[in-house]
Amino acid sequence: MSTVDVNVNVHHLTRVEGHGNIVVDVQNGELKQCELQIVEAPRFFEAMLRGRPYYEASHITSRICGICATGHATASLRATENALGVEVSEQTELLRKLVFHGEIIDSHVLHVYMLVAPDFFGVGSVLPLASSHPDVVKRALRIKKLSGDLCAMISGRHTHPIAMTVGGFTHLPTIKEMLAVRERLVAAREDMDETISLLATLPWPEFERETEYVSLQKDEEYAFIDGRIATTDGFAYELPDYRNVTNEYLVPHSTAKHTKHNRDSYMVGALARFNNNYDQLHPRAKAAAEELGMKPVVTNSFLNSGAQAVEMVHCVEDSIRIIDELVDRGIEEEPPYEFQGKGGEGVGSCDVPRGILFHNYVIDDDGVIQGANCIIPTGQNYGNIEADMRALVPQILDRPQEEITHMMEMLVRAYDPCISCSTHFLNVEFV
Amino acid sequence: MEGGEGEALPSTLVIGLGNLLRGDDGVGVRVAEALATRDLPDDVEVVDGGTHGLGLVNFMEGRQRVILVDAADVGESPGEFRRFTLDEARLLGDDRHLSVHAAGLRDALLLAQALDVLPDEVVIFGVQPANLEWYSALSPQVKAALPDLITAVMTELNQKLGRREVWPKS
Repeated sequence: MSTVDVNVNVHHLTRVEGHGNIVVDVQNGELKQCELQIVEAPRFFEAMLRGRPYYEASHITSRICGICATGHATASLRATENALGVEVSEQTELLRKLVFHGEIIDSHVLHVYMLVAPDFFGVGSVLPLASSHPDVVKRALRIKKLSGDLCAMISGRHTHPIAMTVGGFTHLPTIKEMLAVRERLVAAREDMDETISLLATLPWPEFERETEYVSLQKDEEYAFIDGRIATTDGFAYELPDYRNVTNEYLVPHSTAKHTKHNRDSYMVGALARFNNNYDQLHPRAKAAAEELGMKPVVTNSFLNSGAQAVEMVHCVEDSIRIIDELVDRGIEEEPPYEFQGKGGEGVGSCDVPRGILFHNYVIDDDGVIQGANCIIPTGQNYGNIEADMRALVPQILDRPQEEITHMMEMLVRAYDPCISCSTHFLNVEFV
Repeated sequence: MEGGEGEALPSTLVIGLGNLLRGDDGVGVRVAEALATRDLPDDVEVVDGGTHGLGLVNFMEGRQRVILVDAADVGESPGEFRRFTLDEARLLGDDRHLSVHAAGLRDALLLAQALDVLPDEVVIFGVQPANLEWYSALSPQVKAALPDLITAVMTELNQKLGRREVWPKS
């Protein structure tokens, strides 16, 4: 073993800014270098928001990411509302939870089916999978269409939730629309069952590494919006103290800051939520977890994708419950929020598909944003991804280099990092 | 809301793509915004596709034609644009992504093709960007090209729909 040399150098997304490079260097069996090199997205977060009126923040930040647009909008609104002392109605809370569930399903289904599944079917991407297993890919798109329609019903438009605003919504769904979506959610149980059955057959890589898992937590429900920050090492913090958890620091090989708390690194995302909040999952979601052989604390990072599937089941069930509650209560028009001439500082947090997200704003008495900070989930996962890589490489050194490279890619992919949401620039060659 | 179950979809879909926070990358969205203010025929729908990636497959399915507007490296000077069909171009890229964030229009088109749900007609307006910096505005070159680009897309629509006039601003 001591003479093994391995050199993994994956430059995946070089077409834009060289995002997401994996570098592993083993000389004579000794691990010399093991890095995930990332050029990170919202680098100019503060510059984007400083000097802008408070009501623009959610619309600007929802454009940071096409996958987590609702997540950014919600964290932004909560930060603004906490800064300005705005109380929102129960109806608004319910609608926000519902649209958030839509985004969780939307993002998870893409990740599980379009990125993770092809690895297990032995194909390089979802494209050959669409030819060899069209039913699988069509199921994914069917689920995605439902979640997209659920989001659009509430937030008015796909990807960028224009109807979500400080204090509530500028557009409300009708009972008829909600019941139509409810019917499709009930029908989607079959697709959920198929999803879990499919994942249960996949040969998940065997890899265990204990780490600290960080997520939101609430007493009353499986937390996605608000709550406290909880960790599997037994710590809990209120949202304004988020910096006690994130402790950002710089590393030479990445422009993105890393974070750490009780250990050298921590993990956020579906698996972290699963590990912290398992008890609050819907019974059907717990049954799904059992089928996947998952019981907290799960320490195999590859199973983040399993936790995503479990959360999809939970969100389908909880969406049905929320719609029932909304239909029961009836939907009421609410007066729009009016600024009271008093600013302040506020932190908003949501557990978006990839993990806990923080927005923190300082707003002056004219309603203008004077300071802003944002910590995204992937930034918090970098350190943990690298720690996983350092632990995994020595265990698989005897395998062919190609396989080692593939395992490294699968590992990074399990976290579904937010790397280049930024541009979807086409590169064209004319024939 | 995207067409629900059983509803007839407008046969022609225009999708403007890109990230408004990244300079010229947002040009497609600007075109979509401009078109949305026009008095459009019932069989035309305009969508701000943002950075939607693979989800675009669901928008395209069931349409007769789709017209896409996006920033693209089409080998021209900044601000210039090219109209092309999929037969006329190869969309370059890597299929093996580490993240769903990396999937873009190219992937959506290829996936729609693989699933046999790609509309019969796909026309792309690719605009050469000058600047993709975070939180910057459109470059002067792309901004100057915007009226011509909007006219080109409307002309395309008029031709397809057998109409001669360019729709007035509503």
